[in-house]
Amino acid sequence: MKRVEKRVEVKLSLPVVAPLLDIIRELSRELEKSLAAPQALHDLDQEFRGAWIGELLEGQQEDLRGLLSLFNAQFFSEGVVAFDEKNAEPIVRACTAIRLQLRERRLKVLGDEALETGDVDMAGLDETARKAFMCYLFLATVQELIIQHLDSTIIGR
Amino acid sequence: MPEPRANTRTETRASTETQLDDAWRVVVLNDPVNLMSYVVMVFKKVLGFNETKARKHMLEVHEQGRSVVWIGVRETAEAHVFTLQQWHLTAVLEPDETR
Repeated sequence: MKRVEKRVEVKLSLPVVAPLLDIIRELSRELEKSLAAPQALHDLDQEFRGAWIGELLEGQQEDLRGLLSLFNAQFFSEGVVAFDEKNAEPIVRACTAIRLQLRERRLKVLGDEALETGDVDMAGLDETARKAFMCYLFLATVQELIIQHLDSTIIGR
Repeated sequence: MPEPRANTRTETRASTETQLDDAWRVVVLNDPVNLMSYVVMVFKKVLGFNETKARKHMLEVHEQGRSVVWIGVRETAEAHVFTLQQWHLTAVLEPDETR
């Protein structure tokens, strides 16, 4: 029997999401040479640690390319993005990488507790921080969407 | 992921045999960014946990700051740590000194 591939299409608000893409692209560039979540690898010898970090970095870059490719011509013409078996995992991981980088580079002003609870006074933020926090929330929404709709059938397999 | 280290490379280490036989712990540390649902999903996918076990460990990470998610031989522990790090969880390898 032929297995039906699961695919979820989501229509996003172009005027809201398009401005956030500049931040995502910028942070993706920052993440070309460093890991989003620096890891303590004290127990590994230097040579092995280098290979380890190199492979993590390579995977991170590939995931980020997957996230950026989501915002293609269809997104800019119709506001639609599609998640499927092929792109779900890389996109979920890339969202995390960008969110970690946002915390590290753009949202220090908020503090970890506010980031964890989401209890942030948006009106009190300047334009740059507000945009960064919007991006942080948007990527969390993308993650939730993928996890809820595709987890058991795709990611959980 | 990087190839597990070859046995020849462990020659320089003291007590090689003992080290290979010793148990190692895979520990996941808390961070303020990753969603609870994300951490549960990663535990299920990477470590093969069911929903209940994945949620238990996620809550342990969230409330206590860390959770030991796996104990066993070094090579497999390294593989788990690497995969968890691919998913951007802060995972560390520790010798299991409880044995």
